Amino acid sequence: MQQNNAVTIKTTFSRETSVSTTINSDPEIIWKLLTTAYDYPRWNSTIISLEGDISLGEKIKLKSTLDPKRTFKLKVKELEPNKKLIWGDGQGNRIYTLVPLGKSSVQFSMSEKIGGLMFPLYSKYIPPFDKAFEQFASDLKKESESIYHTKN
Amino acid sequence: MSPKDFNKEFELSRKQLKSFLLRLTACAEDAEDIVQDTYLKASDKLPGFKGQSSLKTWLFAIANNLAYDNLRARVRWTENVTDLSKVAALKNPLFFQESMHIRQTSPHGNFEIKEHIAFCFTCVSKSIPLEHHIALLLKEVYDFKVTEIAVIMDQTEAMVKYYLHTGRAKMIKIFEGRCALINKQGVCHQCSELNGIFNPQQKFEEEAAKIEMVRAAANNDKEHLFDLRMNLVKGIDPFESDASELQLHHLQHNRTVMEEYLKKDL
Repeated sequence: MQQNNAVTIKTTFSRETSVSTTINSDPEIIWKLLTTAYDYPRWNSTIISLEGDISLGEKIKLKSTLDPKRTFKLKVKELEPNKKLIWGDGQGNRIYTLVPLGKSSVQFSMSEKIGGLMFPLYSKYIPPFDKAFEQFASDLKKESESIYHTKN
Repeated sequence: MSPKDFNKEFELSRKQLKSFLLRLTACAEDAEDIVQDTYLKASDKLPGFKGQSSLKTWLFAIANNLAYDNLRARVRWTENVTDLSKVAALKNPLFFQESMHIRQTSPHGNFEIKEHIAFCFTCVSKSIPLEHHIALLLKEVYDFKVTEIAVIMDQTEAMVKYYLHTGRAKMIKIFEGRCALINKQGVCHQCSELNGIFNPQQKFEEEAAKIEMVRAAANNDKEHLFDLRMNLVKGIDPFESDASELQLHHLQHNRTVMEEYLKKDL
């Protein structure tokens, strides 16, 4: 599967955006990129800064190009090495998953669902995630594959 | 392998082990100590060495393990180490007196720009994470393959590739911002400043132009410039080069400055 466009499903009380792409690299490399907070701005053009330690239960501070003036304080809620990572706050969760497709080929997916009873009141203030998600997946693919092809 | 053969093989690797450990610890005495400890540990373990890797790889693995226990290897410096060290040197007349004495009396007291570039790499590379630093040295300076580095570091090949790639990227970015030899906007001019002090008769631009990395700077191919920098570092033995005594003196100074600085920062 090559990279698809991001998909957003809206309901009255929630909005969920997801994207997935095939990455021809080692899952360990992809995982290391996803879990090394300070290194994100180097390879990921959608992240301005990410502070903290991406370990289970830890709090992290994220600044993204989607809303550069805001710092999102998030908690790492689930972490299964080389497979699944979830961080989020009270409004929603960002889920990253890696599924092996074969030797050195991985399906990477990310999704975020935000919502709640008050969602209709503030939904118009939340920018669409689609382009940023596509860019995130594209940056991760490019960097992971570049590392994987380091000469022996 | 017989102890006699082992001793012979060890001696072939000794210089590289010592310079590797100097570049990790920034301390000549610690490097020498760890080389000796490596010899003792390898001698003890020799009956268990079955040749799964080359002896050189095995020796580097032992030395690398020992280096992990060395505080000076583990401690990370700041990117601006040379700036901080310059400020400290200007406040310390003894530093220049000692340097000049070495310059005038030692057969290894020359000041050469390429030697200073290698010295600068040793200092600045201590600002990147230790695993990245080790992987980068082993690959770029000591010509180990990724598969061999994985053995030395006891890591997967995927992780070694990650450390190499990101280590390179970090170093390229730092030198791009700092090194005036490759970027006119670079903030560090210590090569030319020190050359003016130690070689007042020389024309810096003429001397610098003898270095391939400096000549290639105009092309602005950052990866290539870093490769050229690494080739230059590779060609210098920090213990035996014409400038070794002077540069080791500078390294000791920078290490002391960093240790004081990091102590204050705690």
